[in-house]
Amino acid sequence: MDETVVILAQGLTKSYGRVRALRGVDLEVHRGEIFGFLGPNGAGKTTTIRCLLDVIRPDGGHARVLGLDPQVDPVAVRARVGYLPGELRLDDSYTVEGQLRFLNHLRSGKADWEFVRQLSRRLDLELKTPIKNLSKGNKQKVGVLQALMHRPELLLLDEPTFGLDPLMQQEVLGLLSEMQAAGTTVFFSSHILSEVQEVAGRVGIIRMGKLVEVADVAALISRSLRRARVRFKEQVDARELERVPGVRLLSADKLSALLEVEGEMNGLVKALAAFPIRDLDTERPSLEEIFLAYYAVDGKEGE
Amino acid sequence: MFTVFRQSLARSRATVLGWGLSLALLSMYLMTFYDTLVEQQAGLQQLLAGYPPELMSFFGSGTEMFTPQGYLTLEFFSYMPLVLGIYAVLAGSGLLASDEENGTLDLVLAHPISRSRLFLGRFLAFLWDVFVILAISWVGFVIGMRWTHMELSWGELAIPFIPLAAVLLLFGSLALLGSMLLPARRLAAMLAGLVVVGSFFVTSLARVDENLEAVARFSPLNYYQSGDAVLGLNWGWLLGLIGVSALLALLAWWLFERRDIRVGGEGNWRVPMLWKKPAPAEK
Repeated sequence: MDETVVILAQGLTKSYGRVRALRGVDLEVHRGEIFGFLGPNGAGKTTTIRCLLDVIRPDGGHARVLGLDPQVDPVAVRARVGYLPGELRLDDSYTVEGQLRFLNHLRSGKADWEFVRQLSRRLDLELKTPIKNLSKGNKQKVGVLQALMHRPELLLLDEPTFGLDPLMQQEVLGLLSEMQAAGTTVFFSSHILSEVQEVAGRVGIIRMGKLVEVADVAALISRSLRRARVRFKEQVDARELERVPGVRLLSADKLSALLEVEGEMNGLVKALAAFPIRDLDTERPSLEEIFLAYYAVDGKEGE
Repeated sequence: MFTVFRQSLARSRATVLGWGLSLALLSMYLMTFYDTLVEQQAGLQQLLAGYPPELMSFFGSGTEMFTPQGYLTLEFFSYMPLVLGIYAVLAGSGLLASDEENGTLDLVLAHPISRSRLFLGRFLAFLWDVFVILAISWVGFVIGMRWTHMELSWGELAIPFIPLAAVLLLFGSLALLGSMLLPARRLAAMLAGLVVVGSFFVTSLARVDENLEAVARFSPLNYYQSGDAVLGLNWGWLLGLIGVSALLALLAWWLFERRDIRVGGEGNWRVPMLWKKPAPAEK
């Protein structure tokens, strides 16, 4: 296996009774990247991540994590991975520190406790607080902290910012970027598209148990449809612009036009040179709009 | 594995102390009556002669209740498999399934610990807890014996706890296996609890109704020695109980190695609805 490939999944399938959670997921995540795994609830994000850790077993296909088969050598895989479950549940009988120390013992005390304190300060988390007294958001911080504290080679995070306030979401995203800079590969699932757009280099979009798209975030956005609003100095017939390949006229009046452009803007800009232009605005779609386009099939949202 | 073992012990500490100290107090209390019972043996024997033999047989060898082993059987060891069986069933069914159902097992198993080590750590903690509860109870008897003329050594007094430990191990392992097979811990606990109660009654009733003897052969408590173990262990029965327990535990381990770990709240068993809830009225 190529050593730059940290996660490899080929044809992963998984069913829960009649529900087909994964229908042949193929995935490659490369060393050192931040990979955003997008999909709505029930699309198969959590199932994929749990298969990678051998918490559940796929029905078909195979996976390699850090070059290892999680089903053959799960302990070796988990020793090098930091994991945050989507449904994080902590042991209420512990304090934050007690919980972290227990989990650290399971890793044979691999965590650097100075780093733990540093993380807890950044996450504004008091280590002596009993878990049972923590809010949902603070429990999530414990989850993030335990995943990061041993500086793993690979982070598998299922909705890492879930339940956090916007400031803390930014802090966590910043931590992920720092971990990446230090050499960690980050694979995280989310349905908050703005955060994926902010930190991820590539995204995979999963829909009804199948990966429907994997692309660079920038490329995904640039190759998709964008809108152009043109205002003219004098009355024109904007319908002529529809002759430009890839351009569709959405609406027009005598002094303005709203156009949809697929691919390069070059043809439109050249065509507009013949018009008396007052100004031109273009809008790139957000990742959210692209994502929704994948799910808006036959007027229905996916799962 | 020792991390899991220590964690399990820490979590069950209060429960174990609660059971152990309660039984120790009961043991001490029971021992205070032994001398009185022996002193009034003649009168009591006359009284017991009037009781139906079926009733006396239900509680074991009624005529031997004036001997140390008969007294221990009647007052403590005859019904302890039922009382402590409930503890064993709850502990066994929750050994892994309670963490799975509350969702904490997902995070633990994402750490570098194999399922086998986790299983072993938890199972050893269960064995240790049973040992501690019985040891505290035994201490209660030892203290109580100082106030009586019961002629048993501390070692002899400890022997009936061995078959008791063996049946608790069996009930705990059965509940553990049930929790691996069934979709919910409480269902496993309920079914294993039914086995405990059923076994107690079948074994007891088989003493008075020989038609039940064939059924009683399948009852674990048929091979439980009770207080009679003071006179010497029945090694065949003891090893049989331990062997079946080991088999049940091995099956549970085998299933745990192969099963998917559920996330919190997933796939819980509920009492099936016998009637359908009326649909909410449309607004």
